[in-house]
Amino acid sequence: MRVLIVEDERRLAENIARSLRESAGYAVDTAFDGEEGLFMAKSNPYDLVILDLMLPQRDGLSVMHEIRRACLSFPVLVLTARDEKESVVALLNAGADDYVAKPFDLGELMARAKALIRRGKGQSAAVLKVGDLEISTSDLTVRRKGKPVGLTAMEYRVLEYLAHRAGAVVTKTELLEHLYDFNWERFSNVIEVYISGLRRKLDDTGDARLIHTLRGQGYMLRG
Amino acid sequence: MAKTSIQRRLIAAVVISQLLLAVGVVSVAVYFTRRQLRNAFDAQLNGRAMSIAALVRYSEETHPRLIFEDDLVPLPLEQGHADLYEVLGRDGHLIARSPGWPSQPLPAARPGRSHVNFEFDGIRYRAVHLENVPVLDREVDTPKDDVLTVTYAAPTDQMSRAIAIAGVYIALGSLVLLALTVGLAAWALRRSLRPLAELAGKASGISTSNWELDPSETARNTTELAPLTQAMTTMLDGLHRAFTQQREFLANAAHELKTPVAILKSTLQSLLQRPRDAGEYRAGLEQALDDMARLEKLLHSMLRLARAEQWAAGSARRDLEIIDLVATCQSVIDHLSPIARERDVKLEFSKDGAMPILADADDLELVWSNLLENAIRFSPSGETVRISLRANGPAGFVEVEDRGPGMLPAEVEHLFERFHRGDASRARDTGGYGLGLAISKALIEAYGGTITPESQPGQGMRMIVSVPLKTG
Repeated sequence: MRVLIVEDERRLAENIARSLRESAGYAVDTAFDGEEGLFMAKSNPYDLVILDLMLPQRDGLSVMHEIRRACLSFPVLVLTARDEKESVVALLNAGADDYVAKPFDLGELMARAKALIRRGKGQSAAVLKVGDLEISTSDLTVRRKGKPVGLTAMEYRVLEYLAHRAGAVVTKTELLEHLYDFNWERFSNVIEVYISGLRRKLDDTGDARLIHTLRGQGYMLRG
Repeated sequence: MAKTSIQRRLIAAVVISQLLLAVGVVSVAVYFTRRQLRNAFDAQLNGRAMSIAALVRYSEETHPRLIFEDDLVPLPLEQGHADLYEVLGRDGHLIARSPGWPSQPLPAARPGRSHVNFEFDGIRYRAVHLENVPVLDREVDTPKDDVLTVTYAAPTDQMSRAIAIAGVYIALGSLVLLALTVGLAAWALRRSLRPLAELAGKASGISTSNWELDPSETARNTTELAPLTQAMTTMLDGLHRAFTQQREFLANAAHELKTPVAILKSTLQSLLQRPRDAGEYRAGLEQALDDMARLEKLLHSMLRLARAEQWAAGSARRDLEIIDLVATCQSVIDHLSPIARERDVKLEFSKDGAMPILADADDLELVWSNLLENAIRFSPSGETVRISLRANGPAGFVEVEDRGPGMLPAEVEHLFERFHRGDASRARDTGGYGLGLAISKALIEAYGGTITPESQPGQGMRMIVSVPLKTG
């Protein structure tokens, strides 16, 4: 999952980014003003945008309007220091999905971020199920037929993304775009390494295959 | 203390004055009526006395003597009671006397008066006493010194009754008039006091959510109420401004505090998110302390602003000393020149002699440092910031001029507002909270000075501070 944080307070943006990376294993980009944030939101496929309301160059409400005008459908979580009802209503009407008032609880922010991503993928439960595979997005654990499967952080991120798109073909480019933030070098063969690792841990136990490779197209997770 | 009512007091004043007037009018009217009636009565009494005197004549004898023809006595003045009369001749011998003449002598009239009142047989009488009345029936040979003394008395009951009736009518008329005028006065009073009641009604509608007095047209056009209305409107405007300012300050302060608190909180929470080694904890705690320092700086600035505004309001002056304004400027320039060098901005300082001022050096240095920091921050590299000092009589001027981007007049207006940031991102870089200029303004105003920005887009910014110097 890849998240964009648009927040002019660098220290706050860094704290949220670190928390998202550490507790949810997300790829996180940060933008420090409204214009930069809007540009990044338009040029990358994010799974969630965390947007501050008071931004230099262009305020959060205007960024929100622009995002929806550009038909970008990712969920948007707004950070606000204002708790006046009108601004919250205006934000939600502009297409925001949720808001958190400063000073917020980081744990709550994480939980809301995860919930919004799930909803954005059409999932409502925190545990994703594909066949006999269970992925708990709250504590980042994976079980197959009730038995825990030990995955590396990157393997988990690949699997979670595939599980969210279960039954659909996911290209390598899509995986790269959603699993790495802006600052990472992208090598498509890295994906192949993670996929083979996942196959070894999930499919080589003699159970039915879950990860399917469609030559020249991409991967599909199907139970 | 009991409540007093202007309306009631005015009505009471009107009633009392009208009552006094009525009593006066009634007394005067009754007095004159009585005098008038009595004069008429007295004239009639005199006429009767003269008529009685005319009935005395000389007898047809060789030695004529005075006789009285009592068959020609006129009718009494008042019906129902007979009049009394007595005619005495020279030497006081009795010529004629009415029937029923009292046996006791009549009381004597007061000196200078010819009339006297007395009571006889249960009836009040008024008598006239005429002396030296000549005998009308005069022949050639009758003695010339024959004169009469005539006393004539008539009952006064009817006259007294007439006086009483006149008095009652006058009093009744006055009472009716009194009631009418009091009613009229009360109506007029209530009517003319209505704008006051309206004003009170409007004033009671004022609350922290409604500051509009909106006095009615009549209240504004009433001479007595206009100053009150004016004063109330002015006072409300002032209160409203102060209240709004305080509320905005509180809201802004709370709002501005949220961000540093959110940062500090998120730093600590992310530190606790998973087990870390000692080095990571240490780094996290240092980070938290940094965040704390920002919070402290904001709190310090807010307190400084509140204090400066208190001094400006004249509530608490501290002991100030005479210091040299030039020295405070020099000290700030020395302090900020490394930052200017780092940003490749030259500082040009011009002055002309010492400028003594009664002030606190810390305050002035804070102001110069705020102005100079802004000027350096907004100057493109390679440019110069000019600081010039000059004294003009009792006023000292400090000008800080940069060649930065300048700003629109609309932006200049908001420059001194608390928590205002011309450019948020740049202000944040230096940890600014938009309080520096607000504090500077409050401090300069506390010293009785002014601070004026001059700027046009693309023309840089010039801040002109004027402060009263301590001369002589």
